[in-house]
Formats: sequence, structure tokens, C-alpha cells
Amino acid sequence: MKHLTNWAAAAAMALAGTAVAAEGIYTPNLSYRTGPFAATGIPLMNGQADYINMLNARDGGIGGMKIDFAECETGYSTQKGVECYEKTKGKAVVTQPWSTGITLQVLPKTNVDKIPILAPGYGFSPMADGKTFSWAFNAPSGYWDAASMIVQYLEGMGDLNGKKIAFLHLDHPYGKEPVPIFEALAAEKGFEFLPIPVGLKEMQNQSAQWLQIRRERPDNVVMWGWGAMNAGAITEAVKTKYPMENFIGVWWSGHDADLAIVGEKGKGYKSISWSFPNAEAPVMADIRKHIVDAGKTKSNETEMQGVFYGRGVIISAILAEGIRVAQAEYGAGDISAEQLRWGLENLNFTAERIDELGLTGMMLPFSTSCSNHTGHSGGWMLEWDGAKFVKVSDHLEADVASYAALASEKAAEYASANAPWPMNEGCEG
Amino acid sequence: MLYRTVGQFKTSYKADQALFPVRQDAVLLWVILLCAFVVFPLTASEFTFQTLLIPILIYSLAAMGLNILTGYAGQLSLGTAAFMGVGAYACYKMVTLMPWMNPILAVLLSGFFSAGIGVAFGIPSLRIKGFYLAIATLAAQFFLVWLFEKWAWLYNYNASGAIQVPNLDVFGLYVSGPLATSMTQYYVVLIIVSLLTWVCINLTRGNLGRTWKATRDMDIAAELIGINLMRSKLTAFAISSYIVGVAGALFVFQWRGAAEPNLFDIPLSFQVLFIAIIGGLGSILGNYLGAILIVGLPVVLNIVPGALGIPLSSAMVEHLNIMIVGSLIVFFLIIEPHGLNALWRLIREKLIIWPFPH
Repeated sequence: MKHLTNWAAAAAMALAGTAVAAEGIYTPNLSYRTGPFAATGIPLMNGQADYINMLNARDGGIGGMKIDFAECETGYSTQKGVECYEKTKGKAVVTQPWSTGITLQVLPKTNVDKIPILAPGYGFSPMADGKTFSWAFNAPSGYWDAASMIVQYLEGMGDLNGKKIAFLHLDHPYGKEPVPIFEALAAEKGFEFLPIPVGLKEMQNQSAQWLQIRRERPDNVVMWGWGAMNAGAITEAVKTKYPMENFIGVWWSGHDADLAIVGEKGKGYKSISWSFPNAEAPVMADIRKHIVDAGKTKSNETEMQGVFYGRGVIISAILAEGIRVAQAEYGAGDISAEQLRWGLENLNFTAERIDELGLTGMMLPFSTSCSNHTGHSGGWMLEWDGAKFVKVSDHLEADVASYAALASEKAAEYASANAPWPMNEGCEG
Repeated sequence: MLYRTVGQFKTSYKADQALFPVRQDAVLLWVILLCAFVVFPLTASEFTFQTLLIPILIYSLAAMGLNILTGYAGQLSLGTAAFMGVGAYACYKMVTLMPWMNPILAVLLSGFFSAGIGVAFGIPSLRIKGFYLAIATLAAQFFLVWLFEKWAWLYNYNASGAIQVPNLDVFGLYVSGPLATSMTQYYVVLIIVSLLTWVCINLTRGNLGRTWKATRDMDIAAELIGINLMRSKLTAFAISSYIVGVAGALFVFQWRGAAEPNLFDIPLSFQVLFIAIIGGLGSILGNYLGAILIVGLPVVLNIVPGALGIPLSSAMVEHLNIMIVGSLIVFFLIIEPHGLNALWRLIREKLIIWPFPH
């Protein structure tokens, strides 16, 4: 009997607990802390959660509303992702799908369900076209921006004419995403573009791909990898003694833990990034004070200094700013999904605003508008110095104009393939 | 007790050969059909449709296709997912090349493409058996997924390499694509699955089914009593692949909405094989029971802690889920190695002879 009462009491407390947590603005995150991609997911999710929890602890949420940042575990599986989407969409004001596969599935439904998708730095690059994709946001930079910036950086190192650039990518929608931009740039600048796909089954054993790289002797290797593929490529590059300074990854291929395994030997490896982990930034001090010292974090000191944790913080900061903008516009604390959509469309991260939020040196200024859902903040080239990533370039900006036509063409193609597709006609620019 | 068959006399051959000769079975079937056609659609939420009802039906259908081949005809196959992929891509090409086509018809026709491919990959079964045949079907699995990736025509030269289901309507009602309601999608799946189940029950207890079972139990003996092994094996491959292909088309068109080639990779083959094995090889009902256990249970387990208000992190729930489902599979296979269908048969048998079970 005593046990029974204890259980009843525990259950009552738990119920009360959820009742409290359910209040406020619900911004679920489709996280993946399990499965083959967990190693890269965990630092990002920790950064996201810690920032929002810090806001809850420091300011009591945003505009007086607590933020309920619940996680729904997907294990990076599309099926589980859709399950999570269906489970959360009733109350949620935003979807954070966290995988290209889930984004692809959810994107066509957003017009029906009217929930904004926030996919910072991933997903379908033409999502930048806000007229067509009124509910999708991939601020602050898309994959096409990354491709453009990498080529720009390489050009800064010397003329590209006659050079050979190998493109080591995951053979998956994600890896294929920047190919059209590279192909266009190759034709324009006169370098040879050599795509080398890595199948999902070959991620950990890339000896065939690196043999091909040794044979072809490309001047540079650009990598679009994720999960186990990054560590596989980096260790293989070290093993085949590929000069690391000629090896550049996209932002998802710049994970500290992947390079820590090779340590000094990985020196010179670069990764383009729209975020930078600045341990001195005021926001990190606040996270330490309100979250880490209170024992409320799942992270640890090494992880918190990494690129991915910092990026998680920035992602949540973008979402939080969207909520703030929406609250200011509609004069209400408890905003709806449609109001948040307006907020995300009217982000304005100026240099002053970034400092005000305590994110100094962690991100670049950008702003979104009705027709521009990416913002194109540009980024920095980061380099592994043997122990951590350091900035080795000034602010790089993508040549957005050069592929604007392609983006609207692809967006139109998408809209016609999914007809009837509603366009946001009221959008001026 | 509940299953007392006393007093149920059959007075005609027709009654004796009914699909469900025991009255209680027939009643149970009507109750299930009533639930599936009326009660569930009236009560289910969007979440239930999308994560439980539709996927369980589609996976059951795929497992049923595999069961025809592996359970009834005894030909082990590891290429189920690839044949599902053939169905899905065939359906995609048909609706994009011929947008006027009725999408339900396209789903049903797409099975013929996978049946053709299935027969082609079934030819080695005439010479090799058992594990060796499994390796041959594994070749189909790898080859077809490779083809889905490399043959850009299949996905209409889409930059992402994935196929996306357009909005398709039948007489103005959207049945597929983002604009289709879950209930419409569910009814389409339910009607096709019910129809094919009815076909399968009849096939497996008819002439063809007996030929398959003879082939499975001892092929030399079957040949000696005059069964044409080639015809028996190839019809099994054709019919099985047809059903699997339809399941694949439904999988993408009525449920997922989009698919990348690696969706049809070997993990899906194994999942379908597990459903068939845990449900019971050589049974129809088993496919449904297996799909409920493998597809439905994890979803239910995932929402239990939240519904009870137990404060567990989502990743923890996922870990627990994997452990619970894994141990349940082991548990069921220990108490009944022949699958859930055999377990149900045992329970039913005991109920019929109650109160004197032996």
C-alpha cells in the first residue's frame, strides 16, 4: 500500500510537472542523440537547448513567455522524423527537422499545416526564394553560398584556371546539393571539377575514393560529408598523406571531435563556417552562470568550446530573435506559428544587435525579408591548428547574384512539380 | 469457451469450404473490418493515421508479398526493399509521364514492373536453393538500389536525386501528395490491402498455394508427383514481387510523400523479413501481427512516458524503446519459434477444447 501511495504521489508530481512545462511557446526540436549520427548531433542539440534554457533562467523566457524546447528523438531516421512532426505539429510554432530527408518530406506539407520550418544552414538551397517557399527558412547561409565562398577562397590563394578540384561528397540529396553551383563555377573559372561520391555504406571505409584521389592528384579536395563520413575522410587523408592545407569541408564537416582523433596531423584542414565558437562572448558567460553552474547542461567543457556547440547556440539565437520580432509586431507574448513565420521573415541581425545579444564574434550580420529567406550572411574560413579551429579569413561573402536565376528556376520547378502550389504573391522584396 | 464449435454443422460443400468455416472467426473478422473501415477513421487523429494505421497496413502488405515467396514457396529472398523500390519508381514515372492517369490504377499497375524484375531475378532459383538463393536476391538488392541512384531518368533528373510525390486527384479528390488528407490516404491503402489480402488467402489455399507448399516442403517429391517446379517457383516470384511492388508504391505515394534511393536499401528488406518471420512464415494473419509488433509498438512505446507524465528525456525513451522491442522479439520467438500466428493458433485451439486443454 505504501508503495502504491508513493507511486501515486510520483505520478501526480510528474503530471503537475508536465502541466507547467506545457505552458509557453512550444518550439520542439527533432533531435538525434541516438544512432549513427549522434556524435555530430549531440553538441548541436546541447548548444540549442542550453541557449533557450539560459533565456528561460535569465530573462524568464522571451517577452515574458517561457520557451518549451522539448526534444523529439529521431535517430536521424526519416520515418521517426515524420512521426515526431506529426506528434508535435498540433501545438508547435516551428519545426526544426534537422535532416535533409525529413526536410524533403515536411516541406510540401508546410503550406497545408502552416508551420514554419527552420533549417539553419541545411536543406534545399532554393528555399531562399521566400515567394515560393513562404514557410521554409534556411538562414543564415545555404549550401550554394558555401560552394560559392569556398571557390572564392581558393581563388584568393591563386588563379584556378587549369586546376583540378575533387568534390568528395555523400551520395545523398545533401551531398548533391551544391553540384550545380560547382559545375557553373568550373565552367566560368576554368578549373576541372571532379565529383567523387561516397555511398552511405562506404562512409567509414573510403579507401577506394582516396585511391582515386591519389591517382588524380587534385589541387584541392572539397568535402560535403556528415556523420561518420567526416572522420573517415580525415583519417584516410592523413593515412594517404594528402596535404591537409588543400582539404576544405563544408560547415557540417568541421567538427572538433573528428579532427581531435588525428590531432597535429590534421593541421591545415579547413572548413567554411557561418558560426564561430567564441568562448569569451558574453552569452557563453551567461550560459556558464545560469546553466552549467546550476548543473542543468548535458554538455561538458571541451564540447562547449567546439564549433558545433557554438553553432547550436546561434541556431537557437536565430529562433529566439524570430520570436522576439513576432512578439514586437503583434504585441502579444504568446505567438502563433503564422506570427512566427512573419518574425523569421523580418530578422535583422545587425552588428549592434549581435553585440547586444552577447553573440560577439560568433556570427555575422544578416537580415531576411519576404523574398529572401536565407539572408546570405556569408562566413569565415576556419582552420584546424592541431588543437582547435581558428579563423583564417576575413568575412567571405557568397556571390548570390550569380546563381539567383538558377535558384528561382529550381524553385519554380519545385512549385510546378507540386502543383497546385500556393505562391506568396504579396511579396515585394 | 468463446470458441465452442459445438453445434456448427456444415450441410453443404460451400459452407465447408468457406474462407472462415468457424463462426467465431467470421464474427471476429467482421469486427476487425468494422473497426478498420468505420471505427478507426472516425476516431483516429492525424498522428494515428500517419504513424500507426497507414504504415502498419503497408508493411503488412509488403510482408505478405514476401511471405508468399519465402513462407509458402520456400524461396528465401533478401531483396524485398529493392522490389518495393521498383514499384515506387515505376509508379512515379507513370504519374509524371502520364499525369492524366488515375493514381490508384498507377499504383496497381506498378506492381507489374516489379513482378517482371522479380521473375528475372527469380530465374537463378531454378538452379540454386536456400542461402545461395538469398545471396542471388541480395545481388538484386544492391544492383537495383545502385540503379535508383545512377539512372537519373528514374527521378526526372532531379538535382537532389529524390522522388517527390505530386498532388494527384481522382475526380477532384486528392488521394496522394501533400494536399491529400490522411483519411483519404488511409482508405486507399485499406481498400488495396484488403483486396490483395483476400486474393492471397484464396491463392494460398488453392491449387497454386498447394503447389508452392509442395515445392517448399520437398522439391524432388513435388517434381515426382508432377509439379512443374519452374512454373511453381516463377509464379511465386511474380506474385510475390507484384504484391511487394504495390506495397512499395503505396509506401511512397500514400505515406512517405518523398523517397531517396537509400530508403530502399537493405535495412528495409530486413525489417520486412523480420515482420514475416516474427509474424509467422506461411501465414497471412501473421504479417499483420508482425507489423503491429515491429512497426506499431515502438510508436506506442514512444508516447507512453509522455502520456503518463513520466519525465524522461526523448533520447532515453528511444534507448528504452530499442531495448524493450528487442527483448519482446526474443521473448516471442522463444515461446513460439513459429511466430505470432502460431501463438494465436495455439490460443484458439486451447479455447476450442476448453475446459479440457491438453
